[in-house]
Amino acid sequence: MATAPAIETRHLTKKYRNALAVCDLHLLVPRGCVTAFLGCNGAGKSTTIKMALGMVRPTAGEASVLGTRVSDIRASCRTRQRIAYVAENKPLYGYMTPEQLMRFASSFYADWRPEVAAKLLGEYALPPDRKVKSLSKGMRTKLALLLALARRPDLLILDEPSEGLDPVGIEHLLQTIAVCSAEGVTVFFSSHQIAEVERVADRICILDKGRLLLNASLDDLRESYRCIDVTFPSVPFEREFQISGVEKIRTSGRQMRVLASRNAEAVVERAQQFHAVSIDVAPVSLRDIFLQTVQEG
Amino acid sequence: MLWYKAWLETRSRFLASLCGATLIVWFFAHHAESLTLPGPRANIYTRNVVFYSHQYLMFVWILCAILLGMGGLIRERAIGASSFTLALPVSRTRLVVVRIAVGLLEAIALGVVPWVAICLIMDSYGKPVLLSQAAFYLGLLISGGLIYFALAVMTASLVENEYTAPAVAYGITILMIVLCGNIAWLRPYADLWRFMGGDNHLNKGTFFLSGPFPWSGAIAALAVTTVLLATSVWLIQHTEF
Repeated sequence: MATAPAIETRHLTKKYRNALAVCDLHLLVPRGCVTAFLGCNGAGKSTTIKMALGMVRPTAGEASVLGTRVSDIRASCRTRQRIAYVAENKPLYGYMTPEQLMRFASSFYADWRPEVAAKLLGEYALPPDRKVKSLSKGMRTKLALLLALARRPDLLILDEPSEGLDPVGIEHLLQTIAVCSAEGVTVFFSSHQIAEVERVADRICILDKGRLLLNASLDDLRESYRCIDVTFPSVPFEREFQISGVEKIRTSGRQMRVLASRNAEAVVERAQQFHAVSIDVAPVSLRDIFLQTVQEG
Repeated sequence: MLWYKAWLETRSRFLASLCGATLIVWFFAHHAESLTLPGPRANIYTRNVVFYSHQYLMFVWILCAILLGMGGLIRERAIGASSFTLALPVSRTRLVVVRIAVGLLEAIALGVVPWVAICLIMDSYGKPVLLSQAAFYLGLLISGGLIYFALAVMTASLVENEYTAPAVAYGITILMIVLCGNIAWLRPYADLWRFMGGDNHLNKGTFFLSGPFPWSGAIAALAVTTVLLATSVWLIQHTEF
């Protein structure tokens, strides 16, 4: 079980009446790395996470977390000892104070580190004896993060963790994610902030309309994705460049822009065959990869 | 610590209810002689303090017990806090059972404390209340009244809105009281209001409850409460969050 993936789903599907939230999802999140879960609003990220945590029942398929099948309710309950989760909504319990919440949360987890909790309480400048309902959205987010980060879990799941945080808070969060990863914690987080993802993620999963469109390491993506700008002496034929690995072609007069997920060399070779005047090959940002993948999907 | 959470969640409702209920019985005890209530003047303390304060306490107790049954996971889902609760390494059954148990204890305390107050106040006035009478009334109040608490818990397991859930629970309660009190064939079995008020055991001359405690009725009422609470647990186990 120690070598089982952190999260594994097979044919995972969730249907709400006529709406398909997650469709036949095969997701594999390896241990020991930071995996980012990207997708537009309503792509099914939170539903997938909730299914992995047993909060939502799949319509079909199954999910395992840290080697435990989610459908095994008792084992799944024990496995949650090893998971820290920060939900998309972070209102927590409005009737408790941060101090009471910390005391409450610490009683459930053997891996609770009081010194880390105290340190984070100070760093986040959270008032320990003010009711949670009177805290700002950013403060509640920080408190939710504190409750997860004060532990030393095997798996840290963060659903849009930077929502509501100021730039200082975001920076602190990203550094903390990096530290957690260095300590051997597997981090799985969903986000809309691609710049943040690029800074800390080892792997990228892109979900759109409930389907997994991409699951690759960030290094591989950076290595293989290329944007090729070509100028031809006359108007080029797009179909000549529709070769394997080409994701998108945009032509404007004698200019052509090709986005290739692999096989960039073949595109360059084809451009040379058509007597290209200039060829410019550039790496592609994660933002462009995301936009391209989602639009294609 | 789930007990601690349930207590923090309900304590303001509970303490306010407790103060309200105790104030009502204090009012009846303190003004026993000056209150002009229907019934013979004989045994004025038994009539005004024991019987009438119980009737008002019963009304307030039902209102408060319904409030104590509100909240829990469905309400947390509405405000977005259920994800934190459900991520705890605790089964849903335990989460719900602890929440119900705290509510039950509070509802029982809400009956016991005012009755203890009646006994203490009347004792201090030199007009002690018979403990057997107090226990009879308390037994009727709690055994019958917990059905309303269970009904509220079940409503809160289905309806998530902060105001809709109590409105639905109060609506069902009023409907139950009206229907069970007015439909002839239902009255002997389901008229909880009369059962809790001790109408079937009241001696209208002395205003004392007489006869044996209705154990069969109390057990039947507690069985219905158990079924309603078990249904609530089942509903939560099968709810999507």
